[in-house]
Amino acid sequence: MSITALKSLIDTLSAPTISFTILTVIFPFIFPPSDWFEKIHRKSGLWRVWTKLGGVIGMILITAFFVIGYFDPYFNKTLTKADNFPIVLMIYSMWFYIWLGMFKAYRNDIRLDQGLKPNEYNDPDDKVLVWPDLVYIEFIALILFQVFLIVWSIIVAAPIEEPANPAATPNPSKAPWYFLGLQEMLVYYDPWIAGVLLPTFIIVGLMAIPYVDINKKGDGYYSFRERRVGMFIFMYGWVVLWLFLIIIGTFFRGPNWNFFGPFEYWDIHKVEALTNVNLSELLWVKWFNQGLPSNILIREGLGFVITGLYLFVLPVVLAKTYLKDMYEAYGPTRFVTIMMLGLVMLALPIKMYLRWVFNLQYIIAIPEWFFNI
Amino acid sequence: MFKNDERYWDINLLNKWFAISSLVFLAVIVWMFIDDNDDEFKEYQKEFRKLQVDIAKNNLEEEQSLVKGKTEEFEAALEKAVKIFDQKSEEVKNINSELGELRAGFYNTNLTYSATKAKLDVLKFELESANLKSGNKADEIRQNYEQKLASFDEIKLNKEQYELDIAALERQLKGLKADIKSAQSDRDIVLKQVDLAQNKLSLLDRSEMSFMNKLGDIVRDLPILDFMDPYYKVKQTVVKDVLYDVNFTAMPAVDRCTSCHLGIANPDFKNAEQPYTTHPDLDLYLTSKSPHPEESFGCTSCHSGRSRGTSFISSAHTPNTPQQKKEWKDKYHWKPVKHWLQPMLPTRYTQASCFKCHQNTSDLAGAEKINLGLTLIDRSGCNGCHVSGNWEAKGKSGPDLRKLNEKSHPEWVSKWIKNPRSFRYNTRMPHIFEQANQEKPNIAKRNITEIASITHYLFEDKEVKKSINPSKYLGNPANGQNLFSAIGCMGCHVKEQEPALAPSPSTFKELTKLQGPNLIGMGSKVTPEWLFNWLKKPHEYMPSTKMPDLRLSDSDARDITAYLYDNKNYDFDQLDAPVANDEVLDELTLDWLMKMNPEKYAIEKASKMSKNDKMSFVGEKSIRHYGCYGCHNIDGFMDAKPIGVEITQEGSKPVDKFDFGLYHDIPHTIHDWIENKLRTPRIYDRGKESGPLDLLRMPNFHFSEEEIEAVTMAVLSFNTDKVGEPLLAHKKVPESNKEGHRLVKKYNCQGCHLIENRGGQLVEQIGSPEYGPPNLHSQGRKTNPNWLIKFFNNPMTVRPNLQVRMPSFHQIDDREWDTIIKYFQSIDDENTGYRAPHQYVESSSKFKAGEKVHEIGACNNCHFYGTKFPTQVASTWAPNLALTKERLNPEWVVDWLRNPQEIMPGTKMPAPYLPTPDVLETSDALDVWGRDLVKLKGNQEAMLEGLRDYMWNIRGKVDISDEVKDYFDENGYDFSDGNDEDEDEDWGDDDW
Repeated sequence: MSITALKSLIDTLSAPTISFTILTVIFPFIFPPSDWFEKIHRKSGLWRVWTKLGGVIGMILITAFFVIGYFDPYFNKTLTKADNFPIVLMIYSMWFYIWLGMFKAYRNDIRLDQGLKPNEYNDPDDKVLVWPDLVYIEFIALILFQVFLIVWSIIVAAPIEEPANPAATPNPSKAPWYFLGLQEMLVYYDPWIAGVLLPTFIIVGLMAIPYVDINKKGDGYYSFRERRVGMFIFMYGWVVLWLFLIIIGTFFRGPNWNFFGPFEYWDIHKVEALTNVNLSELLWVKWFNQGLPSNILIREGLGFVITGLYLFVLPVVLAKTYLKDMYEAYGPTRFVTIMMLGLVMLALPIKMYLRWVFNLQYIIAIPEWFFNI
Repeated sequence: MFKNDERYWDINLLNKWFAISSLVFLAVIVWMFIDDNDDEFKEYQKEFRKLQVDIAKNNLEEEQSLVKGKTEEFEAALEKAVKIFDQKSEEVKNINSELGELRAGFYNTNLTYSATKAKLDVLKFELESANLKSGNKADEIRQNYEQKLASFDEIKLNKEQYELDIAALERQLKGLKADIKSAQSDRDIVLKQVDLAQNKLSLLDRSEMSFMNKLGDIVRDLPILDFMDPYYKVKQTVVKDVLYDVNFTAMPAVDRCTSCHLGIANPDFKNAEQPYTTHPDLDLYLTSKSPHPEESFGCTSCHSGRSRGTSFISSAHTPNTPQQKKEWKDKYHWKPVKHWLQPMLPTRYTQASCFKCHQNTSDLAGAEKINLGLTLIDRSGCNGCHVSGNWEAKGKSGPDLRKLNEKSHPEWVSKWIKNPRSFRYNTRMPHIFEQANQEKPNIAKRNITEIASITHYLFEDKEVKKSINPSKYLGNPANGQNLFSAIGCMGCHVKEQEPALAPSPSTFKELTKLQGPNLIGMGSKVTPEWLFNWLKKPHEYMPSTKMPDLRLSDSDARDITAYLYDNKNYDFDQLDAPVANDEVLDELTLDWLMKMNPEKYAIEKASKMSKNDKMSFVGEKSIRHYGCYGCHNIDGFMDAKPIGVEITQEGSKPVDKFDFGLYHDIPHTIHDWIENKLRTPRIYDRGKESGPLDLLRMPNFHFSEEEIEAVTMAVLSFNTDKVGEPLLAHKKVPESNKEGHRLVKKYNCQGCHLIENRGGQLVEQIGSPEYGPPNLHSQGRKTNPNWLIKFFNNPMTVRPNLQVRMPSFHQIDDREWDTIIKYFQSIDDENTGYRAPHQYVESSSKFKAGEKVHEIGACNNCHFYGTKFPTQVASTWAPNLALTKERLNPEWVVDWLRNPQEIMPGTKMPAPYLPTPDVLETSDALDVWGRDLVKLKGNQEAMLEGLRDYMWNIRGKVDISDEVKDYFDENGYDFSDGNDEDEDEDWGDDDW
C-alpha cells in the first residue's frame, strides 16, 4: 500500500463517526467487562496489547504516525504548532501509563489466579516511610520536571498570537488543549449542558468515586479482573469520552470547526451540510405530517417523556431487573448516584450517535427558554 | 540514620539519582542563561564594534600621519623639560619639606581661629541679649567680648601670614615646573586630534585597554550584572506619537531597529553591509535636523514591522521580491511572523506610509509613486465604486451620459462598452466584459445581450441626432491642426495613433497630457455638430465637465472640428455591434425578476413585457449590476449606492479577510492580493462555479505593472494606523491650500503652467518659455487677488505675443477661484486679503528718477502702453503696462525688476539698467543722468521703487484683447517660425 493510500485511509477512518464507533466497539474487547468479552479478548489475542510486546508496538505505531505526519505538508502544520505539543506528550504518556497499569494488573491477575499475593505486597508490616522514601523521590521528580520545563521553554517559544480583537476572531477558535474535549461536546450539546452541567458532573463524579465504590479488592495493588466493570466504565469515560475528544479537537478540527483528516488541507471553503432537526420536528412534521403545536410543552412532550424515562424510570427498572444484585449490594443512595452519573456519561455517546444517524439536534428544543437538551 | 533495610528504596541509588538530576538541572540552568543572553542583536553589535574599531584605527592612523615627524619633536622637548626639572630635585625637596611644615602650622592656627570665632559669636549674642535688659550685666559681658576680639585679631593675623607664606612657596614650585607644563601643552595642542582618536579607540578596542578596563568591559556584559550599564544592549526609541493599535488601547511604538541597524544614522557606514548600512536619505530622515528626526518618527512609522523585535525574524521583515525571499530563507531562515498584523512593508511600498501624516495630497515631493497611485485612483474612478473615507471622489471620473444621443450613436456605444480598447488603446474606460471569468459560452452570450440592453437604456426615449449637413461644421483641417497645437488643447489632450509614442502616466508631466482623452478616431465616434458645439461651449453640453471654454471663433471651431473629425477608426467601424438575442434576453429578464419575485410571478411579469420593456429593464439592471454610474452620470442613477467594497481601511484589513479564491498560488499578503486583483480583476473566481450574476465584477483597467504598484501602494496607505497630532503634516497646511491644490490638479492647471515647480508640459511642447503659458512661480505675491479673480472669470490678453490662451473655466465658481487664489498666496506666504491702493508722490525725485530709468530702458520697445503698440515686432511684445497697477502687487514689481530671471527663468524681460554710484559721480553725471537720478546717489532700491511708481502712473486702456486680436487677424501669427534662436530639441516632436 502506498503511503498516499495509507494517508487517505487514515483520513477516512479518523472521521469522528468512524473512529468513535471503532473505538467504542473495540473497547470492551480491550478492557473486557464480562466473561463473554473476556473469552473473545483471550481468543482473539487482544490481551497481548497489555504485554511488553504490545506496549512496544503501541509506542512504535504512535511514533510512526507522528513521523509520517511530520513529513506530510499539512499534518506538519498542526503537529508542529507550539500549542499542540502537549497533546503529543499526552498521547505518549497516556499510552505508557495506561499500558503500565494494565501490564501490572495482568501480572497480578495471574498471581492471584495461582493463589499468590500481588506483586506489590511485601510482608505483614508492609510500609513505606514518608521520609526519605516518598519525599526524596518526589524531590528528584520535581528537579527532573523542572529540567524538562526549562528545556521546553528554551526550545519552543510561547505560542502568543496577535492582540485579541473582538471584531476579528481566529478561525478556528480553539480552547486551550485541556478544554478541547469540552469544546468537542459543544458540537452535540447545548452550551449549558456541555459547558456547565457535564463538567460539573465530571468533577462531582470523580469526587464521588471513593464513596460509591465499595469494592474492597484491588486496594494498594494493580488488578483488572477484580474490578473489571468499574475499570471498563472509567476507562471508556477517560480514554474515549475525554482524551479522544481532545485529540479530535486538536488535530482534526479545522476552519469553521469542520472535520479534517490529519493529512488533509484545512480548506476554509469546505462546506458541510447542516441538516439537523429537533425531535419535535421529527415527531410532528415528519411523522404526523403537520405543523408544530403552539404550546411549547405539548410540542416538546415526547422529548420530556424520553428524558424522563431515561433519567428517572430507567434506574428504577434496572434496580428491579437487570441490576437487582447491584442495587441490593450498594443500597439506594449509592445506586442512584452511580446511575445518575453513569447515565449522564452515557448520554454523550448516545447523543453523538443520534446526531450522526438521525441528524437529531435536540431531544428537547425550547430556544424560547434557552433550554435545549 | 535509618538502617538501609528498613527502606523500600535503595538510598544510595536515590542519592545517585539525586546527584545526576541536580547536575542536569545545573547544566540546564547554564543553558538557560546562555540562551537568554545569546541574542541575535548582540552578534550584530559585536560585528559592528569591529567595524567601529577599524574605522577608529583608520582615523587614528590618519591623524598620526598628519602630525608625522612632529610627535617625536614634541615628546623630546617634553622629556628634556622633565630632565631639567629632575636636576633641580634638591631645591624642590627643600621647598616641599618647608611647605609641609607651613601647612601643618596653618592647619593648627586655622583650628584655633575657627574655635575662637565661634566663641566670639556666642559672646556677641549674649551681649546683644543683655543690651535689651536693664542692669549692668551688659558692661561686664562687653568687657569680656572686647578682650576676646583682641585675641581673635591676633590669631587672624597669624593665620593670614601662613597663607601668604604657603602661596609664595607654591609659586616658587610652579615656576620650577613651568617648563614642563609648557612643553606638555605644546605637545597637547599638536596632538589633540591624535589623542582624541586614541581615546575613542581605547574605549572600543579591548586590546587597547588597560587590564582593569578590560576586566570591566567584560564584566559589564555578564548575565545579571548587565542590568547596570552593558555595552551590548537593546537600543530603543519610544515614539509616543506613533501608535500600535492593540484593539482596546493604542501603545506607543518602541522601535528597537537600531539594535542591529547600528550605522543607520551614521554617514560613515554608507558602504557597509546590512544591517549596518547608512539610511539612503539622511537629509530627509533620521538626523535631528531633517524633517523626520528619529526621536519623533522612529523607524516603524514608515516601514511598519514589529518594532520590538530584536532579531531578523521577530521584527517581521518582508522581502521585496521572490529572489530576496529565497535569499533570506537561505541566509536567515526567514519566515513571516504569523500573528503580527503589520509586517514590514516591502521596500517598494514604503511610501504608503507617507500618507499617514501627509494626507489629502497627491503631490508630495519625493513620493512620486504614491502620488501616481492616488492620481490614478482619482482618474480611474476607483472611488466611484469603492468608497474611501481618506480619499473621497470629487465628482464622477467619466463623462456625463445623459445627453449621449447628441454626441454619439448606439452602434458605437455598444461596441465601445464591449471593448473600449479596440477603439482607443489607452482609454481610461475599463473593460467590464470579455474578462477571464466570462469566457464560458453562456456567459459570453448573456454579456452581448447585456451590452445591447445597456446601450438601449442609454438611448431610450432620446432622439439620435444625425447631422443633416455635416459640412456646415467642418472647416479647414490643416488650420485646425495648427490651432490644436497652438492654442493650448495639448495642455490636456494628445492625439496619438501610435501606442509606443503615447504618454505613459508614470511621471507627473506625462500624466497632465492625459487629463483629457487621446483624441483619435473622433470621426467614428461623434457627430460634427456635437463636436463643434462642444468645442464652442463644453459646459452647455455637460455642466460638470472639466473641459474649459477656449473662446473659439466659429471659424476656428470649424477648423478644429474638421481636424479631429478627419480621423476615423476603420477597424473599429467594421466590428459587429452587439445585438440582443431574444432567448438570452428572456433569460436575463427572468433572472432579474426572480431576484425579487417568486418564479411564478416572475414568469407572469415577463410574459407581459414587450421586447422593448425587457431591453430597458435588463439595461437598467445591468447598469446597476456593473456599477456604470460609479464613473458616469446616467439618468435614473443619480443617487445610486456604489457597488464596491469600501476601502477606507483596506490596508489594515486582516489578510484572512481577503478571499484568495480556491487556488493557493498567490502568496497570502495584502499587497499580493491587491496586485493580482488589479492585474487580473477576476482572478479570484478561478475554479469557482458561481452563477452568472454572482461573478466578480471589478473591471479591468489594463494597468501597467508600474501603475499596479502605484495603486496598490495607495490602497495600502488607506489604513487604521494612527499617529499623534504633532506628526500630522497635513494639519499644518491650511485647508484652502489643500483644497486649492486639489482643484489645480482637477482642472489640470499644471498641464500648461509650472506651479510649485511641477508641470508645464505645454511650455515644452510649444518650445520656448516666452511663448508658452506663464510660469506661475510667485503668483500669490505677484498679482492682486481682485484683478486675478476678474481675470479668471473673464480672461483677457495679458501677454500679447502668445497664441496659446488662458481658457474660460465657467464651471469653476467664485468660491473655488478664491480657494485657488488662497492656495497661490499660501505657497508664497502672502497673507494680505485686502490692499490699499499703492501711494506714491509724483513730484518726488524717486519718481522722477524712475521716469529717467524708464526712459533709458526703452520699455516701449516691447511693452504696450494702453492701446499704444510697442515699437518692435510682434514676437517680442510684452504685457500692457497700463494694466500693471491693477494687476500686480507693488512689492512684487520691485522684486521682479531687480531680477526677472530669478522669478521667471527664461523670460525675455531684461533687468533695467541702473546707474551705479561711481557712474553717477562723474563730472557730466548731471547732464547724462539728470538731477533726480544723481540725487539718489546710486541707491538702486530707490531707483527700482521709482520705476515702479512711474509704472503706476501709466494710464491707458487696460484690456487690449481686441486690439491684439485685430492685429493678428490682419497680419497672421507666424513669427514663431522665424525665431531660429529659440528652436531646440523639444521642438522637433511637435507639429510645428
